[in-house]
Amino acid sequence: MTVFFFGRLKDLAGHAEDSAEFSDATTIEQLFALYAARYPELAKYRSSVVASRNQEFAAWDTPLRSGDEVAFLPPVSGG
Amino acid sequence: MATLPHNDIFQLVREPIDTVALAGVVRAPEDGAVVTFDGFVRNQSHNRPTLYLDYEAYESMALTKMREIGLQIHEKYRIHRVAMVHRLGRLEIGETSVFIAVSAPHRAAAFDACRFAIDTLKRTVPIWKKEYFEDGAVWADGEMPPAPAATPRAKPAS
Repeated sequence: MTVFFFGRLKDLAGHAEDSAEFSDATTIEQLFALYAARYPELAKYRSSVVASRNQEFAAWDTPLRSGDEVAFLPPVSGG
Repeated sequence: MATLPHNDIFQLVREPIDTVALAGVVRAPEDGAVVTFDGFVRNQSHNRPTLYLDYEAYESMALTKMREIGLQIHEKYRIHRVAMVHRLGRLEIGETSVFIAVSAPHRAAAFDACRFAIDTLKRTVPIWKKEYFEDGAVWADGEMPPAPAATPRAKPAS
């Protein structure tokens, strides 16, 4: 599993990409909670984070499988 | 790269966007109108003078989302071609960050499709900008993409 952080979430997590040491997380929600426990600043932004699984926006209770690409995305500001 | 339906163009670039060339690429003899949107870097944000912006993207997903917008506007409006290009990296005041050109036989469809495309891009394409000021930098306030709600669970029989 590969995990990406973008925008301010990348700053808070200290890195953009992680080859998931938390590979035993079973849902996106659980995966985020594990990172939030390690980087408490992340938890503050939970309500404004959108997650994606394999490059599609995904609900928080989406189950994870090995090999998945997960990303945590702050509100988007392109344009 | 596989040819896209309609010969549309979707790109993320790190060099200046050639807006004149793109507006020309989408036009064809059967068209009667090209509508373009040129989004560029403003010199202030909430009345604070901006020095420059820095854009980053979840590139593979951003391109996927841009292509989806293209398919949507072909479905919704009677248009011919779309070019949609977003620039990444450091951009100075006045430089184009996003450019969209839509050609169509008639102007109404081109206007509507171009408006829909930029509005949807700003809400759904994973791109972020950091604003640099004299006294620091901040990630711009953004829009929450419409993410799927939690998976519905079977209701117990009542």
